[in-house]
Amino acid sequence: MAEDKLKMYERAIAREKAARKEAERILEEKSRELYFKSKELEVSNKKLEELVEAKTSELKGVFENIVDAYVVMDIPGNVLKMNEAAEKLLGYTVDDKINLLNLVIPEEHERLAESFQQLYENGSITDFNIKISIANGAIRLVHVNASMIYDSDNRPIAAQGIVRDITELRSLELQKQSLLKKLEKSNDELQEYAHVVSHDLKSPLRSINALISWIKDDNEGKLSPDTLTNFDMIEATLEKMEQLISDVLEYSSIVGDTSSLTNVDLNIVMDDIITLLHFPEHIHCTVIKPLPKIKVDRVKIQQLFQNLISNAVNYSDKSKGLIEIDFEESDKEYTFSVKDNGIGIDKEYHQKIFQIFQSLNKREESTGIGLSIVKKIVDLYNGRIWLESTLGKGTTFFFTIEK
Amino acid sequence: MKGIVFTEFLELVEEKFGFEMVDTILSNADLPSNGVYTAVGTYSFSEMLSLLTNLNKETGVPINDLLFVYGEHFFSVVEKSYPTFLEEFTDPIEMLSSIENHIHVEVRKIYPDAELPTFTVVEKTENTLVMIYKSSRAMSSFGKGLMNKTLEHFNAKASILVENIKENGTEVKFSIEIHGRG
Repeated sequence: MAEDKLKMYERAIAREKAARKEAERILEEKSRELYFKSKELEVSNKKLEELVEAKTSELKGVFENIVDAYVVMDIPGNVLKMNEAAEKLLGYTVDDKINLLNLVIPEEHERLAESFQQLYENGSITDFNIKISIANGAIRLVHVNASMIYDSDNRPIAAQGIVRDITELRSLELQKQSLLKKLEKSNDELQEYAHVVSHDLKSPLRSINALISWIKDDNEGKLSPDTLTNFDMIEATLEKMEQLISDVLEYSSIVGDTSSLTNVDLNIVMDDIITLLHFPEHIHCTVIKPLPKIKVDRVKIQQLFQNLISNAVNYSDKSKGLIEIDFEESDKEYTFSVKDNGIGIDKEYHQKIFQIFQSLNKREESTGIGLSIVKKIVDLYNGRIWLESTLGKGTTFFFTIEK
Repeated sequence: MKGIVFTEFLELVEEKFGFEMVDTILSNADLPSNGVYTAVGTYSFSEMLSLLTNLNKETGVPINDLLFVYGEHFFSVVEKSYPTFLEEFTDPIEMLSSIENHIHVEVRKIYPDAELPTFTVVEKTENTLVMIYKSSRAMSSFGKGLMNKTLEHFNAKASILVENIKENGTEVKFSIEIHGRG
């Protein structure tokens, strides 16, 4: 029995010994593993440290070099950090221990609370304008973009903001607005003036016209053929004068007005023009391909095409006159063309013809305003106008309209 | 299976049945490890099964009862080695319902090769908890022992109802109800 017990203890000791060795082996292996792991960690720690250092100096550079004022504050609004631009803008330094509530003028506190709530809930606010009182007591209007700063548990710990002084900018904007308003008013007045003047100028013309026809009636049979020819010339000149006044009025009434923009089908416009113009028998007007629909003022676009086409009719000198309307399309604009086989225009006049009162041909019906009206309308739609022409062979006018 | 499960088991056998019993069940089993266990090693589950079978043969105590007592004993190991697991909780229901999503997650961090059962929470109120235990090891009684001591640890008077969903004990329903908190 005692021997059995002894054997049993021997077995137990052998097991314990083996277990101890096994444990030692495992632990040795583990500690080796740990050693290599810690070496690896050392290396990656060093890399991380370097990275942090690099990032820190990068951030410091950004912080210092940022042109706009940059401010960091804690949740109760105490300013924790400012860059140089912020110190310059506010007139304070971090040591002054300023709070947002002291900066923002009391009248704005309610709006401030609202925006802070929004910042807290959404994490950021953009384009927020508020009035602040800076160190020297002056009131400045500032533009703020701000965002929350969170800790690793996603708890908000601070807020950061880029602040821009827009006091001057805003006052310039207000000045611009008032100038625009004034300009609008004087434009209106000018137009009204043009109406009155043209009416006042036309009525004496009509009186002269009437007086001349009375003189002619009263002296029927008594006047020499020369005098009658002179009377006819007076009448023609009066007619031209009246046309001139009408054209000037028309020219002055072309103003940009976005409210009258509609989608205009140019094919319908062209039909109207062809009906209106009464082409002489020997002139053929062709639209090469169906025209597009464009967003313009219906009256002005008709005026534009009508003036170019009637010019082509007026300056046709061939036995078979041809007028061709065409267009090309790009991403941004349409380029329209009106081509004729008329007398052509000398290159030296290609710029001059668009100026007001410049007529190359002393024709009776020409007032020299038609092309300036065309140019003014094209300008209104941010387009360009130019021409290609060969004397004696014909002219092509091109103009663009933005899409 | 982690070595600590073996060493603690043999400690308990020695404490309850004496040193001879430890020698007997080790000697009568055909063990790849030759019955040499260290807490830091890892051994086959079949060895634990042989030891339990042998102990059952020698003592006549049913295996599930052996596992239950062992589970209760093992709680003290947790208490001693990982007190932080227990300190995190103030309520036994909270602790037991977090076995799967918290405690086992932490255990895997310490023992990446641990083979753990799953505990799926089916129902949870302030005083009741129903969980489904699933493990090919069919050691739910070990779990019951641990739970029993857990409830005791938090001074809770409670009952644990264990129902086999699968007859072989690989899927078991635990229904815990707390009657009073001390």
